[in-house]
Amino acid sequence: MSGERPDPLSFEVVPAASGPDAEGRRRVHPYTPLVHGFQWWPAGIAAAVVLVSETGVSLGGGGLLLGVAAMLLLTLVGTAFGYLSWQRLTFWFDADGDLRVDSGVLSRQERRLQLSRLQSVDVLQPFLARLVGLAEVRVEVAGAGDSRVSLQYLALAEANALRNEVVARAAGVRHDAEEAPEQVLAVVPAGDLVLSLLLRVETFGLLAVTVLVVALTIATAGPAGLVLVLVGGVPLFQVFAQFSRYYDFTVADSPDGLRLRHGLLQKTRQTVPPGRVQAVGFVQPVLWGRKNWVRVRLNVAGISAATQGSGDQSFSENVLLPVAPWPVALDIVSRVLPGVDLRAIPLDPAPQRSRRRAWIQWSRLAVGHDEQVFVARRGRVVQRWDVIPHARTQSVRVTQGLWERALGLASMHVDSTPGAVTISALHRDAGDARRLAEAQSERAAAARARDRSTRWAAPTSDVDAHPAPPAEAGRVE
Amino acid sequence: MAQQSSATSVDDAFCPPEQEWQRVSPLLGRAYRITLVFWCAVLAVGLGALLLVPRMPAWIPLAGLVVVLVVLVWSWIVIGRRVRSWGYVERGDDLLVTSGILFRRLVIVPYGRMQLVDLRAGPLDRALGITTVQLHTAAATTDATIPGLSPDVAAALRDRLAREGERRSAGL
Repeated sequence: MSGERPDPLSFEVVPAASGPDAEGRRRVHPYTPLVHGFQWWPAGIAAAVVLVSETGVSLGGGGLLLGVAAMLLLTLVGTAFGYLSWQRLTFWFDADGDLRVDSGVLSRQERRLQLSRLQSVDVLQPFLARLVGLAEVRVEVAGAGDSRVSLQYLALAEANALRNEVVARAAGVRHDAEEAPEQVLAVVPAGDLVLSLLLRVETFGLLAVTVLVVALTIATAGPAGLVLVLVGGVPLFQVFAQFSRYYDFTVADSPDGLRLRHGLLQKTRQTVPPGRVQAVGFVQPVLWGRKNWVRVRLNVAGISAATQGSGDQSFSENVLLPVAPWPVALDIVSRVLPGVDLRAIPLDPAPQRSRRRAWIQWSRLAVGHDEQVFVARRGRVVQRWDVIPHARTQSVRVTQGLWERALGLASMHVDSTPGAVTISALHRDAGDARRLAEAQSERAAAARARDRSTRWAAPTSDVDAHPAPPAEAGRVE
Repeated sequence: MAQQSSATSVDDAFCPPEQEWQRVSPLLGRAYRITLVFWCAVLAVGLGALLLVPRMPAWIPLAGLVVVLVVLVWSWIVIGRRVRSWGYVERGDDLLVTSGILFRRLVIVPYGRMQLVDLRAGPLDRALGITTVQLHTAAATTDATIPGLSPDVAAALRDRLAREGERRSAGL
């Protein structure tokens, strides 16, 4: 981003790679293979430490030499493979303004990302790449299955320029436009982040498991086991991982969407274009109540269920704000959902007899709606408020289990794209649940008819950006 | 299109809309039962083989066989109700699908939200002449599956759904 402080961790700022070739195709940075080669080192060193401490091999000349040789070999193989894939990876913008990426060593892959369906653009700096001033660009479009492209690695300035170009093209403005100006909305102080992570309900569970694991290892394996445990076996490290991930969390608003920046070791800069937010959820663990804190999560389409659970960055992608006071959170959410005043929405509680089905959270169960959004509240130990715009409703379900049936209750669910936020009106009166479902279905239909959010910056006459029609797949043999 | 009746009955949540539910073919029950009998037979053979194991008290495999028999009879009866519980209705703007006896559900899928309509038929399904239609939206939780349709009905439904979907496509 322009006007940002230089990264204190980066010891070498690499120059941008050479320009595009005759056909306008560009390549990622030539240092990329080296980064791929060296990325084995942390895991390699950790494995070596475990091996040495477990088998008691003395760190004599022979063993050390063998270890170093193995590491170098791995590095060499990694670099060689990295070079092959670097050679075969090209990207460019085609005549239609869509992003095209050709890649693959053994099996070739040609991808075309329809930028009118852009969901998010991330610029990531994994630790190793950050040291040499490189960054990864991830572009996510809406679509079934794997609809993400990751370009590893570009010089940071180049990565930011590419991000701007993708966003500008998706917005429908000239792609050589200046980077849109931004306004910082919130920065999460490190102290608040630490305290909030410690006050989470999960932390106590992790603490208990950690004590158990450490005690058991020391009891069974002696001090040697302690090293093994310390190399990633301690569940409490998850709290540190979260701290590292959300460190220096900054939310900024700009015409091309919300920008989220965070990370201690790995830096992430996410851009969520306007209108791409599928659902918003507020989470408040019981111990945050005194501080009036809340965590805000997002569903963004395209981050498929498959990528949701895997990869170390998946977690951050659905967090809009790791911790903030309620007024700040509501202010930021009002940028995502313009014209919605969540405090003004009247909530209708679940019937009293739901107490016999949900004996802890029953009095918290409530739903409400206004012109634009549907809200469901639930949870007592961890309180949740889940919000979905009517225009983003995918489908509506009514479910009823045995016990609910006996009590004449049923639950209604509003389906959103896969993500952390699920919207459920639990344990309503059975007839009421059905009426809620029908009413939500009608509100969704009306909202869909009004909605247009592709090519958000383009003049209103430009409606060519209609999303692809549903594919039809007959697979009967 | 909300239900007018305000009386609260257990079935209020899953009563049909103005139209009647379209039910699925009873052949689906036959498919379920063939599968059921097949697996019960596999289990029975396995338990029978236990009888040949030396020093195995006979009551262990026999008790197992009794359990298998009870499950077989109970499932045989329940399958009929399970199959009759499936139903779907095509309305003006959306498709309704309902199913389940113990855990009941009803899903309302707007045509404009459909991304994909799948037709599936395994070997047994094809031998019996039934097909499964499955709708996909951008939500993974939608779960709108209609099994046990005759291939003609399924193909016609698929075509109608695809046509409606294209006409109303609302993106995301």
